[in-house]
Amino acid sequence: MSERRKRVIPGDVITSGSYRADQNTVLDGRLIVSTAVGVSEIVDDAVRVIPLTGKYMPRIDDMVVGKVTSHTSLAWELDINSCYVGFLPATDVFGRDFSARSDELASRLKRGDLVAARIANSDRSRDPLLTITDRDLGRIDSGELVKMSASKVPRLIGKRGTMIQMIETQTDSLITVGQNGWAVVACEDPNGLLKAKEAIAMVDRLAHTSNLTDRVREMLGGRS
Amino acid sequence: MTVFTTMDDLKKRRIHELLDNGQRIDGRGFDEHRSISIEIGAIPKANGSARVRLGDTEVVCGVKIQPDRPFPDVGDRGIFICTAELLPLSHPTVETGPPNESVIELARVVDRGIRESHMMDLSQLVIKRDVSVVGVFADNVAVDYDGNLFDACSYAATSAVLSARMPRWEYGEDGPVLQEGDAPLPTTTVPVSVTMAKIGNHIVVDPNADEWDCMDARITITTDSNRNICAIQKGGKNGFTLDELVACGETAVKSADAIRRTLEAAAKQ
Repeated sequence: MSERRKRVIPGDVITSGSYRADQNTVLDGRLIVSTAVGVSEIVDDAVRVIPLTGKYMPRIDDMVVGKVTSHTSLAWELDINSCYVGFLPATDVFGRDFSARSDELASRLKRGDLVAARIANSDRSRDPLLTITDRDLGRIDSGELVKMSASKVPRLIGKRGTMIQMIETQTDSLITVGQNGWAVVACEDPNGLLKAKEAIAMVDRLAHTSNLTDRVREMLGGRS
Repeated sequence: MTVFTTMDDLKKRRIHELLDNGQRIDGRGFDEHRSISIEIGAIPKANGSARVRLGDTEVVCGVKIQPDRPFPDVGDRGIFICTAELLPLSHPTVETGPPNESVIELARVVDRGIRESHMMDLSQLVIKRDVSVVGVFADNVAVDYDGNLFDACSYAATSAVLSARMPRWEYGEDGPVLQEGDAPLPTTTVPVSVTMAKIGNHIVVDPNADEWDCMDARITITTDSNRNICAIQKGGKNGFTLDELVACGETAVKSADAIRRTLEAAAKQ
């Protein structure tokens, strides 16, 4: 592990240099201290800690996969694998003409449906607002939900998407990955589906190790 | 049941598709139980205890035996009471607090299976008729949930009772007096419950959490060592046809034989 990256636990001093305290760190006087168990990283002028585990904390513009758990007359409630419930307003689906009196929410999205959505607005004081008015967002009609740790999603995607593209190519599948640790794998071939799920589980298990893309490729039986 | 989750529609559809093709989501046969492992004596200070793992469902049962006042109408019989509880660590949706309807049902189904099979000869648990009897309390605690707590709790309670050692009491001037030595509880049979779920038109034995979430109806049938059915509990919104009920009964009797051997072997450890 390079000098700029080290394993830390809460309370560990990462650096005393003139850096900005980013994710999972706090500034204590001149010291930047970790608040999570993970790997610290100094990128440009910022210090952050990539947590090894933990629940998903919603951030604006994140793409997430959510599960409809309930609805009111104005919005759907989605489980987004977080301590917060995601709210998808009815106007987002029905448009500005939405009328709570005449439009039935269950006709569009019902309990148990999986939805690819984007976090439109979020602060820690209230539940995040979701939107599906974008390309490739909306109800997911096929595939299988696979769960992994939200903190390991960047590893599943890889640098410039290399890992996810490699898994999709090798298994002939289409994977919708949410930043919240939920992914939907769609694949015609049952063996490909199994392989893709196995690859995701492998990334989840070995996210902290190096040379992972090659090892996943090897597991999938492909050539580098 | 005791755990409330919203199942995603895609998985529900997949479970139905697989069942239509004669397969289950975890690869088992329709009449196949998950692997059962039993650890006797998991709680050293209890009179009897067992930790049962049914696949990924895990239950710990402790048996406490102590003198008690008999119920007024049955002064010539000891007391047997079985309870059940879910720990918050068993599933993310389980909260602390008083038990809900499903947990109460769980305890009652397990209790009824043991009681109605007459597993324990309660008449041998009398210290002084109408005054003092032995009370046997089997407390189940679910520590991990992956469906079918009925069978897991039933196996845990049965194993704990089979392996329990009962202290001896004699009635003195001031009440029961503890004597030296102990003995096994007076058991006469080994009840085994088998829970089956109806999903669409298919009936599967020992449903896991995913199957439990999408089942239409369930039935728990308890049989004794003579292969007699001694307790039945039906749950869920849908129903069973007469033919399905008969098939369930036959499956329960057939499946129970192997499980009974496992329970008896574990208790003899």
